[in-house]
Amino acid sequence: MTQATDAAILDPSNPHAALQPSLDPPIHARSTRRPKHALGSDPFALDSETQERDPFLEGLALLRQINPVPTVRRPRVESPRPRVPVRPVRDPTRPKERQWIEVPELADVDLPDRTSWVDRLLSDEERRRIAAIAHLAGGDAAYDRFGLSADVVRNTLPIMTALYRIYFRVQSEGHENIPSRGPVIIAGNHAGVLPFDAAMVVTDMLLQCDPPRLGRTVVDRWAGTLPWVNIFYARGGQVIGTRENFSDLLASGQTVVVLPEGMSGAIKPFSERYRLQDFRVGFIEQALAAGVPIVPTAVVGSDDQMPVLFDLSRFAKRLGLPLLPITPTFPWFGPLGLLPYPVSYQIVYGEPLRFYERYGPEDAKDPELLRFLSRQVRRAVQRLIDQQRA
Amino acid sequence: MTLIRNEPEFGSRIALTHADSPIGRRLVKSLYHDPRIERIVALGPGPPPSVFDRFLSSDERRLTYSRIDLARHRSMATFFNSSLVKEARIDSLLYVPAHGWPTTQEQPLAGGLASQTAEARLVLKHALELRDLSTLICLGSALVYRLSPGNSNLFNESSELDLAPDASPEVRCWVNADMIFQGEFQNPGLRVVLLRLPSVVGTGGKVYFNPVMATALKSRIRSMGFDPICALVSDKDVVRAMQLALHGNARGAFNIAGFETVPLSVFAEWTGEPSVPVPASLISWASRLATFVGAAPPAAATANPHLHYGFTLDTQRAARELGFEPGYRIAPGPVVEGRFRLESAPI
Repeated sequence: MTQATDAAILDPSNPHAALQPSLDPPIHARSTRRPKHALGSDPFALDSETQERDPFLEGLALLRQINPVPTVRRPRVESPRPRVPVRPVRDPTRPKERQWIEVPELADVDLPDRTSWVDRLLSDEERRRIAAIAHLAGGDAAYDRFGLSADVVRNTLPIMTALYRIYFRVQSEGHENIPSRGPVIIAGNHAGVLPFDAAMVVTDMLLQCDPPRLGRTVVDRWAGTLPWVNIFYARGGQVIGTRENFSDLLASGQTVVVLPEGMSGAIKPFSERYRLQDFRVGFIEQALAAGVPIVPTAVVGSDDQMPVLFDLSRFAKRLGLPLLPITPTFPWFGPLGLLPYPVSYQIVYGEPLRFYERYGPEDAKDPELLRFLSRQVRRAVQRLIDQQRA
Repeated sequence: MTLIRNEPEFGSRIALTHADSPIGRRLVKSLYHDPRIERIVALGPGPPPSVFDRFLSSDERRLTYSRIDLARHRSMATFFNSSLVKEARIDSLLYVPAHGWPTTQEQPLAGGLASQTAEARLVLKHALELRDLSTLICLGSALVYRLSPGNSNLFNESSELDLAPDASPEVRCWVNADMIFQGEFQNPGLRVVLLRLPSVVGTGGKVYFNPVMATALKSRIRSMGFDPICALVSDKDVVRAMQLALHGNARGAFNIAGFETVPLSVFAEWTGEPSVPVPASLISWASRLATFVGAAPPAAATANPHLHYGFTLDTQRAARELGFEPGYRIAPGPVVEGRFRLESAPI
């Protein structure tokens, strides 16, 4: 027994002194002991108390002499300011070998005959617009490869027009920033639980642009598992957001609508309304790979359509749902509680961001650059929102 | 000095499996009229179809039909070691898989393998052993690709295969056969071409290579709330693709598809036998009932993702390397005796 231990036992101020062992533990018990190491200490450090007796530690010491302990590198702390690789400006007039699906201008489209009762609900111009985009749905075939049906778009257009003009009273500007032909990515903010903002952007481009542009919204993979919803989404032109689908749409010259905030934007609390969440980077990768402009788009009004008080995400995952928001009306009024408030929408299309003029397809593999450009788009959308609210 | 053309003196001498199947019959008819084909040895488990009568009775003797079981080792070995094969000096083998449903895993047929897998393995084994053989063209199915939720699954040749252990027996058979042939893509002595097909529309609106449509039921069962998209191809386009692969130099896997992609409900209507949406929980009972009455194959399992999700095929590689472009459109033809009939018409 060491002197220090004896002193502890004999100390009258120590109430546990009598409980401490008065004898040394047996040798065999100590030999099987493993050293306890504090977090971050050297795991091969020898216990000073047992280093002369423990053969296990002696072996370790011998091993340490033969193979020195390698130094552990700490992970590099990312600097707050991203390093942006500087690339020479690319030639924007480089040839593009693509076969785009052309949509004719309205003046070149013959007015189709009224064939159903739905046509009576549509104006002549709206019927002309539907006829113009019929090429996108596979031309002569009734469906495109993702299931888009021009008939379904036509049949749902009266409902969407009523939502657009009466319910949400949409006012929009900046359509001149959307290219009249060729592929383009519309990147907008997302809020309000249900994607009415995306639906209004798609309706707005269909009703206001000339030639009309049919937005193909990229949706979450989870949407494909919902009965009936998956059918409606596919017939209306929504596409599951995989790389292959995205690049195929861009290669055919279509308009892809992305909401890079994703689900986190849809369920952000009411206290954070009109403050954008982090943008994802997949659409930047596709834009660089395909050489496509990105039009930042702000939708003002969707943040007020369904104020989220709480988000029970953890509980929702157990139910197999991506989200479970608590709003002033949901779930208290059942499915009716998911109806948005009749707020007024304002849609603004900003000037297109042509990243492909500076960066090429090979840069689409640089994650740091993708994050940087994603923040640029986010900043542009936030600026549009702030201007519109001011 | 006259320039001598660097061409073989004779045309190709081919062997063709399952020539009695619908696709095999069409293939034989097309190849018989192909001037680049010198000799055709057709194989099949059944008797020769009547459409072959005029070819077999012809004085040219270009077509020979042999009746063998392709899933049996003994019959295959007997055939490939026969004097017929040695005399014919076959240089190309076209593998057309069996029509219909594969044997389930619960009822192994040959060596613990399902019949389709056993056939693919034996065909490749003898193709590797045959000295004169330089080309193996195989028909596969696009069911091998791993489906993700949703209808917008666009597959190219490098897309992930469905290797899930709980895949349906039919998908598993296709994947097994696919991987058996994939193993020889880099073989310098044998050019292996694998054509992956979506739903094939044949003569009279018959549908092949589709797990939902290939049932004898009057009405097709589909999962309620889901309407998977189906990529279609005409059997005439399949034959064209096989001929292009036979006479070309490309090797590897190729997606072959036509222009049309339609939802399953529309596709079923086109065939004149509309689909019935059934809740997913009831499909297993409906499938068992259909199996019990002998109307549906046992492989029509409920867990089959092809009842829920659809896919389309990216055919750019086939267009680039094989020169394949679909030449036929598929649509319901005129009403005949109160019925629609699917027809494929040249573009």
